[in-house]
Amino acid sequence: MNFTRNFSARINRFKKMNRTDWLNFLVNNAIYIVMALLIGIVILREPTFLSVRTLINVLSQSSVKLILAFGVGGIIILQGTDLSLGRSVGFAMVISASLSQADTYASRFYPELWLTGMPTFIKLLIPLLIAMAVCAIFSMINGYIVAIFKVHPFIVTLGMSVLLYGVLTLYYNSPEQGGQPIGGLSTEYSNFILGRIDSIGPLKFTGGFYIPYLVVYAAIVSIIVWVLWNKTVFGKNMFAVGGNPEAAAVSGVNVVGTFVLVYMMAGILYGLGGFLEAGRIGSANNSSGFNYELDAIAACVVGGISFSGGVGKVSGALAGVLLFTVMSYGMIFANISFEYQNIIKGFIIVFAVALDTRKYLKKT
Amino acid sequence: MVKQSILKIEGVSKSFSGVKVLDQVCLDVKEGTVHSLMGENGAGKSTLMKCLFGIYKQDEGTFHLKGENVNFTDPKHALEHGVSMVHQELNQVTKRTVSENIWLGRYPTKRGFVDENKMYQDTKSLFTKIKIDDIDPNTRLSELSVSKRQMVEIVKAVSYEAKVIILDEPTSSLTEQEVDKLFEIIETLKKQGCGIVYISHKMDEIFAISDEVTVLRDGEYIGTNPIEELDMDKVINMMVGRDLSHRFPPVTNVPGDVKMVVKNLKTRYEPMVNDVSFELKKGEILGIYGLVGARRTELVEAIFGMRTIESGEIFIDGKKLNNSSPHKTIENKLALVTEERRSTGIFEVANIRFNTCSANIKKYVNNFGLLSEKEMFSDTEKQIASMRIKTFSQESLIRELSGGNQQKVIIGRWLATDPDILLLDEPTRGIDVGAKYDIYNLMIELANNGKSIIMVSSEMPEILGVTNRIMVMSKGYVADILDTKNANQNDLLKLSAKYL
Amino acid sequence: MKKLLSVMLVLTMVLAIVGCSSDKGSGTTTDQQGTKEIVIGANIYNFGDNFMNGVVSPALKEYADAAGVKINIVDSENQQNKLNDQVDIFIGQGVDILAINLVDPASASTIIQKAKEANIPLILFNKEATEEGAMAMYDKVWYVGTASADAGIIQGDMMVADWKANAKWDKNGDGKVQYVLLKGEPGHPDAEARTEYSVKAFDDAGIPVEELAMQPDPNWSTDGGNDKMATWLASFGDRIELVICNNDGMAFGAINAMKEQGVSIPVYGVDALEQALNHIADGEMNGTVLNDGKNQAKAVIDLSLNVANGKDPIEGTSWTLDDVKAVRVPYVAVTPDNFADFK
Repeated sequence: MNFTRNFSARINRFKKMNRTDWLNFLVNNAIYIVMALLIGIVILREPTFLSVRTLINVLSQSSVKLILAFGVGGIIILQGTDLSLGRSVGFAMVISASLSQADTYASRFYPELWLTGMPTFIKLLIPLLIAMAVCAIFSMINGYIVAIFKVHPFIVTLGMSVLLYGVLTLYYNSPEQGGQPIGGLSTEYSNFILGRIDSIGPLKFTGGFYIPYLVVYAAIVSIIVWVLWNKTVFGKNMFAVGGNPEAAAVSGVNVVGTFVLVYMMAGILYGLGGFLEAGRIGSANNSSGFNYELDAIAACVVGGISFSGGVGKVSGALAGVLLFTVMSYGMIFANISFEYQNIIKGFIIVFAVALDTRKYLKKT
Repeated sequence: MVKQSILKIEGVSKSFSGVKVLDQVCLDVKEGTVHSLMGENGAGKSTLMKCLFGIYKQDEGTFHLKGENVNFTDPKHALEHGVSMVHQELNQVTKRTVSENIWLGRYPTKRGFVDENKMYQDTKSLFTKIKIDDIDPNTRLSELSVSKRQMVEIVKAVSYEAKVIILDEPTSSLTEQEVDKLFEIIETLKKQGCGIVYISHKMDEIFAISDEVTVLRDGEYIGTNPIEELDMDKVINMMVGRDLSHRFPPVTNVPGDVKMVVKNLKTRYEPMVNDVSFELKKGEILGIYGLVGARRTELVEAIFGMRTIESGEIFIDGKKLNNSSPHKTIENKLALVTEERRSTGIFEVANIRFNTCSANIKKYVNNFGLLSEKEMFSDTEKQIASMRIKTFSQESLIRELSGGNQQKVIIGRWLATDPDILLLDEPTRGIDVGAKYDIYNLMIELANNGKSIIMVSSEMPEILGVTNRIMVMSKGYVADILDTKNANQNDLLKLSAKYL
Repeated sequence: MKKLLSVMLVLTMVLAIVGCSSDKGSGTTTDQQGTKEIVIGANIYNFGDNFMNGVVSPALKEYADAAGVKINIVDSENQQNKLNDQVDIFIGQGVDILAINLVDPASASTIIQKAKEANIPLILFNKEATEEGAMAMYDKVWYVGTASADAGIIQGDMMVADWKANAKWDKNGDGKVQYVLLKGEPGHPDAEARTEYSVKAFDDAGIPVEELAMQPDPNWSTDGGNDKMATWLASFGDRIELVICNNDGMAFGAINAMKEQGVSIPVYGVDALEQALNHIADGEMNGTVLNDGKNQAKAVIDLSLNVANGKDPIEGTSWTLDDVKAVRVPYVAVTPDNFADFK
C-alpha cells in the first residue's frame, strides 16, 4: 500500500520534471546509466550473458566483496579510508586456511594440529574466531591512532598494511618447509563455504538454479549490518560522528569510542571475509588479498557512501559491489582485453568520485 | 511580582596575552524573561559566552545557576545543567534527521535497539509543547530551511529541560514571517519559565522582545536597564559613547578622478550580493561597513573574481574588467588582502620571504628559468624595512610573528605586485593598537600616492577615522554611501539594519 | 595520557628492533677459530612470489647453512629501486659475495656496475639480464637460472603428448584445441615466454589451436584465476578443452572454479608447488613444470663458495657455464607418472 503510494509519487515526480531536472537526474545517476550501457554492450556482444549461470556467478563473486565493503564502508562514513583491508583479509585467509587443512593432506601447515578430531562445528568456528579476532585487533589499533592522535586514516592504514604484510609473511613462512600456498582444505570447510541450496522444503529449483551458501552468508551479514547501522545507538553515533564530529562531541557522543568500535567492526568483517574467501579460492598465500581494498572502496563510493562522511546505506554498498562485479564479470565474459578493462574501470572510479564530491561542493 | 534570578554572572574578567577583553562583566537573567545582550562587534559578548560554556576559563568572576555556583567544563556539561546556546552558525549533523539530531548522544533504546518510535513521539510532543507544527521529525536537516533548523536546535535545548537558552543572532538569516514564528516560540518558552539571553544588533527586535537590556562595550560592562527605561538613541549611546580622536592619523589624501565603477553587481550563489553599484576614485579610501552577515566579504570577493557573477559590470578607467578569476583581476592591478588571515592569507609554515614574494613569484624567474634567491632576499629586506615588520630575520616562519606583523607581510606581498586598487578585508582584525596605527598610516600614504583602497571593517571607529567615504551594506544590498565627514555612528548603525 | 602512549609506543618499537636484530650480525664477522666467515648478501625480488619465497629462499638458507656460510636475504618488494639501495647497503657492510635476484631484468648493468666498483663477486639468479653486453662488463659476474623459454616449451610438449594420447579431449571432434589461457604479469619475461612457447608447441606438432580467451593478471593470483575461470565456464561452457596457466597459483584458482561447477578440464601450470603435486595426485591437475628452485639455490651457493675461496666458480661441481657465463638448471616436466619423485 505504502509502496504503491511511494511509487506513484515517484512516477508523478518524473512527469513533472523539466529540462534542468532531467539534466540533474542524468548527472546524479550518470554512474548507473554508464554501467547499464556497459552491460548493454556486453549483452549485445554475448547474448548468452543473460543466464542463470551469470546470476549465480555474479552473486557468489559479490558475496565476499560485499562483506568487505561493509567493513570499509563504516570507516568511510567516518570520513576515513582503509588501505590495510587487503592485507588484513590476506592474513585472515592464511590463518583460516592454515587451520582448516584436511587431516589427510600431505603437506600441512601444522602437521600436528590440535583441532584434528574435534567436532566439525568447532573445526569451523575456531579458525573463524581467530581470524576475526586478529583482524579486529589490528583494525582497532588503526581506529585508536586515528581517533586519539588525529592522524589521517590514509597514512595510518597505509602503515598498517605494510606492517601487516610483514607479520603475515612471518607467519606464512614459519613452517619448517617454508612458505607454500596453503591448499588441501578440509571437505567440511569447503562444503561450508562452497555448498549450495538446491531446494527449499518441497520446492526444487530448476533450470540449473541454486543458491550458493556464500550468498546466504552475505545476506545474513547484510541484515546484521543494516540493523547495526540503522537501529542501534552505535550506528546512529557512527553517522553522527561521520557527519559532524564536533556536533556529536558537544552532544556527548563518545567520539573515540565510536571510532574504535567502527574500526573493530570493520576488522571483524575482514576476518569473516577472509575466512570465506580462503574457502572460496581453495587456497591462500602471503600475497592473497592484495589490493582487495581498491575494489571495496571503489564499490562503496560508487554506491554513494561518500568520502565527505556521514552518508551511506547498506543498499548503496550492495549496489556498488554488484555493479562492479557485473562490470568485471561482463568484461571478461565479452573477452574485452585487459588493457581496456583497466581503462574502463579506472574511468568509472574517477567519474564516480568526481560526481560524488560535486554533490557536496560549496559553490561560490 | 519580583522574578527570581536564574543565571547570574558576576565580575567576570578575561585577558588574552595581556589584553583585557572582558573587564568585570555582570549579567543577571531572571526566569521567564528575555534579557538582551548588546554591544558592537568585539565588545566581548561571545567571549563572555565562551567563558560561561567552559571553552575559555575566566580569570576572575563567578557564574551562578539558580543560586548555585557553577563552572562548566564544556558545552555538554552546561547542556546537562539546562544551559544551552543556539549559535548563529548551527552546529548540527545535517545529513541526519530532525529527531536524530535532537536525541544525539542519548538515543532512547529498547532491548538494545534504538527505539525509533519513542524518538519520533518524544520529538512530536516537544514540538507540540512549544507550538511548532510544521516540522516532520523524520526529515533530514539538510532539507530544512535555516529557520527550521534553528527551531530544531531550540527544541533540542528544550529537550534538555533548559532553564537558560542563549540565542546568538538568531534572526540573521530569517525572513520576517520566520522571525515572527521565532518570537512566538520565545514567548512560549518565557511562559514556561525559561530565561532567554538574546544577542542581537537589531534594535527593533530588541525593543519588541526584551524585558531587560545589558550593554557591553570594549569588554566593559556599561549597564543593565529594563526595556521601558530605554529608547534607541540611549542604547546606541551606551554602545558607542567614546572619544575617537588621537586613535587615527590625519586623513590627508585627496581623491581624484573616478578609477573604478561597479554597476548593479549581483552574484549567483548564496550568500548573494544584490544590485551593488558604487564608484571608487583614484587616491580614495572607501570604507565598507556592515553587521555580521552584511556580505561585505562576499562583495570584495566578487569584485576580485572569486565568486560567480550573475549580472552586473565593473569598469576600471572606463574599461570593462574581466574578473572571471583572481588571476585575471591581478593582471588588472587589483589586490585582495583577505579577512581570514590564517586560512586564506598566509602560508603558515613558510618563511617571511616566501610569504612576501609568493604573489609576485614570476618576477623572480631569472634567465635560467629558476627563481633568483638573491633578488627575493633583497626585496624582502626592503619590504621589512619599509613596512616596519618586527622580525628577527626573513627566514622566520610567518606564524611566529604577531598578527599585526603578519598583516604587514601580506599587505607588503600585494604591494609588491604594484596594484592600483587594494581591497582590504578587515585589515586590522585581531591586531594590537600600535600595529593598527601603522596600517592606517600606510593606507593613507598609499592613497596619497594615487592608489585606491577599499577597506571592509566591522569597527565603526576606524571606518569613521580613516576613510573618505563610507558605503554601508545590509544583507547584500547597499544601504547608502556617506561622506565620512558628515557621518556619525548612529547613522551607520541604523543604515546597517536597513534591510534586516 | 597521550604522551605516555607515545613514549610506550617508541619503547616498544625500540625493543622490537633490538629483539629482531639480535640474531643477525651484519657484515664480515670472524668466528671463534679466527677464520674468516663468508657472508653472502642476497635478495628475493618479491616475498609475495610463492615460488621465490617458498622454494628458493628456504633452499638458499638450507644450502648456506650446510656449507657453513652466512647469508642475509632481504625482500626487494618488487621494486628495482629498493634493490639498488639494498645492494648499496650490502656493499657498505662489506659482504663477500652478492647473490642478486633482479626485479627488473633490464636494470642488471646498474647492479653489475656497483659490484664492479666495490670489487665484490656477483651472482645473478633466477632473472637473467636482458641488456646486451651487461654480463661482459665485469669479469666476476655469473648467472644461475633457467632459460625462460624452456618452461613454456616443456609445458607445451607435455600438453601435446597428452592431447595426442587422449582423443576424447577433443570434445567437439573438430581436431582443433579450444583453449583458455591464464597469463601472468603482462611484460614479465617469464609470462611472455611461457605464453608464447606453450602454444607454439601445438603449432610445431601441426595441431591447430583456437584461443577462446586469454587474460593477464599482474599478480599471478589464485583468486584472479578462480574468478576468470568461473566466468569462462559460464561464457564458453563445454567448448573449453584445455586450460593453460603461466603458473601454478592461477591453475589452483581454475581448478577450484571447475570443482565448484562440477566440471573437469585438463589444466597445466608451471612451478611444481607442493599443492600442485597434491592436485596431480588427486587427478585434478594434468601437469606442471618444475622450476627447479632447489638446484638453482644450490648452484648459487656452490658458485659463491668457490668464488669466495678464490677458485674457479664451477670447480668441483657438476654445473657447466655457457658462453654468457650462465649456469642453466634444467626445467623438469612433472606429470601424473613422475610427480611422486618431487615430493
